[in-house]
Amino acid sequence: MSLVTDIEEQQSAVLARIALSGSTAELEELRIAVLGKKGSLTGLLRGMGQVPPEERALVGRLVNELRDVVEAALGLRHEELASAELEARISAEALDVTLPARARPLGTQHLISRLTEEIVEVFRGIGYRVVSGTEIETDYYNFTALNSPPDHPSRGLQDTFYVVDRSGAVAAITGESDVVLRSQTSGVQVHTMEDSELPIYILAPGRVYRRDVADPTHLPQFTQIEGLVVDRGITFGDLKGTLEYFCQQVFGSERKTRFRPHFFPFTEPSAEVDVSCGICGGVGCRSCGGTGWLEILGCGMVDPNVYGFVGINPELYSGFAFGLGVERIACLKYNVPDLRMLLEGDMRFLRQF
Amino acid sequence: MKVSVKWLKTLVDVPADLREFSQRLDLTGTAVEGVEVIGAALEGIVVGQILTRDPHPDADTLWITTVDVGEHNLDADGKPTSLQIVCGAQNFVAGDKVPVALVGAILPDGTPIKKAKLRGIESRGMNCSARELGLGADHAGLLILNTNAPVGVPIAEHLDLSDSIIDLEITPNRPDCMSMLGVAREVATIYDTSYSIGRTVPDPPVGEPVDSLVRVTIDDAALCPRYTARVIRGVKVGPSPDWLVERVTAAGARSINNVVDVTNYIMFELGQPLHAFDLATLTKDAEGRAHIVVRACAEAERFTTLDKVERTLDADVTAIVDGNAAGGAGTTIALAGVMGGLDSEVTEQTCDILLESATFSSAHTSRTSRKLHLFSEASARYERGVDAATCDAFSARAAALMAEVAGGVVCEGVVDGYPELIILPKLNFRTERFRDFVGAAIPEDEIRAILTRLGCTVDLPQVTPPSFRPDLSREIDLYEEVLRVWGMDRVASTLPGGRERIGEATREQQRSALISRTLRGCGLNETMTYSLVSPSDSVLVAMPFEEHQQAVELINPMNSEQSVMRRSILPGLLRSVAYNQSRGVENIHLFETGAVYFAAEGRKLPKERQMLAGVLAGSWNEAGWNTASTPLDFFDGKGVVENLLRELNIPKQRFKALDSNAAPWLQPGRAAEVFSGSKLLGWLGEVHPRVCAALEAVAPVVAFELDLKALLGSAEQARPYRDVPLYPAVTLDVALVVNEQVSAERLVQVITSAGGSLLAAVQVFDVYRDAERIGADRKSVALTLSYRAPDRTLTSDEIEKLHQKVLNKLVGATGGELRS
Repeated sequence: MSLVTDIEEQQSAVLARIALSGSTAELEELRIAVLGKKGSLTGLLRGMGQVPPEERALVGRLVNELRDVVEAALGLRHEELASAELEARISAEALDVTLPARARPLGTQHLISRLTEEIVEVFRGIGYRVVSGTEIETDYYNFTALNSPPDHPSRGLQDTFYVVDRSGAVAAITGESDVVLRSQTSGVQVHTMEDSELPIYILAPGRVYRRDVADPTHLPQFTQIEGLVVDRGITFGDLKGTLEYFCQQVFGSERKTRFRPHFFPFTEPSAEVDVSCGICGGVGCRSCGGTGWLEILGCGMVDPNVYGFVGINPELYSGFAFGLGVERIACLKYNVPDLRMLLEGDMRFLRQF
Repeated sequence: MKVSVKWLKTLVDVPADLREFSQRLDLTGTAVEGVEVIGAALEGIVVGQILTRDPHPDADTLWITTVDVGEHNLDADGKPTSLQIVCGAQNFVAGDKVPVALVGAILPDGTPIKKAKLRGIESRGMNCSARELGLGADHAGLLILNTNAPVGVPIAEHLDLSDSIIDLEITPNRPDCMSMLGVAREVATIYDTSYSIGRTVPDPPVGEPVDSLVRVTIDDAALCPRYTARVIRGVKVGPSPDWLVERVTAAGARSINNVVDVTNYIMFELGQPLHAFDLATLTKDAEGRAHIVVRACAEAERFTTLDKVERTLDADVTAIVDGNAAGGAGTTIALAGVMGGLDSEVTEQTCDILLESATFSSAHTSRTSRKLHLFSEASARYERGVDAATCDAFSARAAALMAEVAGGVVCEGVVDGYPELIILPKLNFRTERFRDFVGAAIPEDEIRAILTRLGCTVDLPQVTPPSFRPDLSREIDLYEEVLRVWGMDRVASTLPGGRERIGEATREQQRSALISRTLRGCGLNETMTYSLVSPSDSVLVAMPFEEHQQAVELINPMNSEQSVMRRSILPGLLRSVAYNQSRGVENIHLFETGAVYFAAEGRKLPKERQMLAGVLAGSWNEAGWNTASTPLDFFDGKGVVENLLRELNIPKQRFKALDSNAAPWLQPGRAAEVFSGSKLLGWLGEVHPRVCAALEAVAPVVAFELDLKALLGSAEQARPYRDVPLYPAVTLDVALVVNEQVSAERLVQVITSAGGSLLAAVQVFDVYRDAERIGADRKSVALTLSYRAPDRTLTSDEIEKLHQKVLNKLVGATGGELRS
């Protein structure tokens, strides 16, 4: 019965080695040594031919049993070892999650375009289209058709940029040119009234120019948003409601607005709109000059003279217009101390927003 | 317009709470720009009573006084006791009450009052004269107060010196508010109360008829609708009385003398600018009359104004002319509505006054003062318009006041040049339409009451505005007035309810927003730079297709650095790169969308082109614990542009090497034009080191500039569906040694064309140069080719055959040799 003894000895030896194996790699070596093509167990099975026939059944059964036992022990041990190895790997791979990430930071949107977009979206929501005009404009569209008197100081060389007129025409107003860098987006109103079907609900954002030296509170170029509504039955109450809605959307629903009568050549009646100071809540503080209010825009009902320039009948239609300076609102909303920062392209400024 | 509240209170009731008052003015259209409290400067100066007056032992002109100042000086027991003050005035006796500046007070001229010793005698304070308190010029001695003046009371309170000056912003449409009377009327209107003209002036003694002394000729009623002249004879020019000094000072003027102060006072009080000529300086005709002529100046006429400046005039300036002078041709004596002349100025010796009260064309006055840089209180009023209807009445009041404060007689009557009587417009006021326009049901009686308070003659629907409101010329102007007085804040807020509108973004607007989002997604930060640039910046960059266009030049730039409009966004962005670099910021990723401008001969309006430009400098990131910092180069810019084109769905993208002659601002060999098919979209490249240096930016800077319209126009809307691959691809690598001139694009083209539909992808994965091993001017390009059929797994035979064909074509077409 030496073969049977042999099998039994081998079984205990193999099981002992399985129990002693320290890693899945070592276990795998063992598995191959025992169960591989040249493995000891495989050798036993191959040697079955030499076993006398009467013992074959017994030996065969024993060898099969041995294989089952070894495989089961290998599987069990593998599981143990793999699990331990995984634990070890996981603990070795633990990170300091507070270390910096690996990502290319997204770029940022400029404060002015961000605000412009925000304002445009408010008005799109109540049915306005966005139109644009050219920045270089004739005196007619920038002033005359907006009912600006011919001698108004704003038309002078002191206030408005004029550009060289290369058409060869003799300009009437300044003696040199009647082509200007637009000083307001209001000219878009005139073009729109000339070119569009009624009713009109438009918003016109764009760059405008004034002859100011760049300093913390002035820029020679800045961004204006012009709004225009012309429809049947538009009232002053509609103007108020529209701009109150706008102010609450942009500044917050807790903010109040007030309308102060004012004078603009292209609207009558005209008003300036203040929003209650966000810092003091309207009581009066340093940032609102003690008044509790911050001036944010000018507006009014379209002056019948303007309709006269574009052939709209003021007996049938009425409407309102408003214009606001985006830079001013940016300063109010974000406390930007110096307007020039908006044009410097300083990465440290741009990346704040 | 500066308004003394103290003065205003004599004309109309003013609420005690000035903050509330200011708000009400704000909300009815008269913006309050500031409130200044005066009289505070007299702090520490109180009413005192001189108890004793003894000569100074060591000085002939000094007195030792003891002065009772009430509670302001206490002894050790806390009981009031008198002060010893040494005093140099002579005009007082014991018992007089005088202003006393206590130790610690600061006089209006800034002198601090300290405890002092005068010739050995201690003095604790100062007895004050009127001038020391800033009240007129009287320095003859102490200001002797009324015997009933209460001892110890602050002098500002006792003399009613404290006042608040409200600075009002008067809009150009409100000439009527440029006077105390007008402001009082406005206050009365908004508070629904009454107002008065204020101080009464006694009737003056009357002299000979004025028309025996003056005649007036107006050349052109358009220049001067009305000119009145009065004569006051026998005035004594001297200092003004205190009340007059106080009022002209409060209004922001300086006291000159009684005659000039009266003209200023009436201007501030009533809004009528006046001018006083010394009648003696005017040439008389045979009948002894001066002749005032109002006419246009001669071209290039020279004239010396009151401020002693000689000025050159032109025919747009209106002159007041001494018509008898220069042998009857006349000489200019004043610039109408702007400033008088030096030669006819009122002086100490002046005895007879010719008083001008007139209205002049606002446009001419405005142009003249702007042209000569002469802005005065008078020109500010003429610019807005002065009421012709009241010229005469206001001049009569001025003449009477002059006689009151300067003596003399007022000649009988007035010489009144009033060629065309001004007729007030009769306007329609349709109540129902007004209500519809405002959106508020304002009752008719309230409308009527407001219009009446505004000075209109009301017989609805007919309304006649008063002469002092020339701005009320249309029905809409009346709507504005009623609305602002009734209260804009009372109108209920509504939203328009129109039916035919949709708040939509056009496709172009949506794509513009997409461009911005994509570039931000690529890590670029949006910025804004100046459209106004220096001429040298503007020649640095010109898009290849714009090379014949000129820069738009400003006629009136602020400075040469910003005297033309940009033709490219790049110079502005490069300046921002330099700005950042000079402040230690090295990784810079910026983009801007905006207009560039091109002028052309024969064209009035320049062309504006919307562009998109970006710059990259430094690296994408700082080196980190887990990331390297790789310097940015051409291909980073190309990657950004490719992402953008992909996101916009722009077909047939091509990057074509850009000749250095065509784009001298880019570094030769690192510049490309960007195409969609044959359509040029813009350029991309590394900025030429010399251009960087010119703008003080440190190279390398990668930049691109694309035409927004071309981009938006090339963008395709639809993205067709293609089947996701079902069968695996087989990839094979190729390495090919070719001449430098053979571009990667060319290799890919050959491979793509030879590979046909079964070639799924081709990618360059290595470029290798080694002069020794592969030869100079040659490079080895390694590519990965993927083969795949959409409907089956390719057999190795098929692939081998196809790949061999591709290799043969590649070698044949490029003259390259395969590396194994």
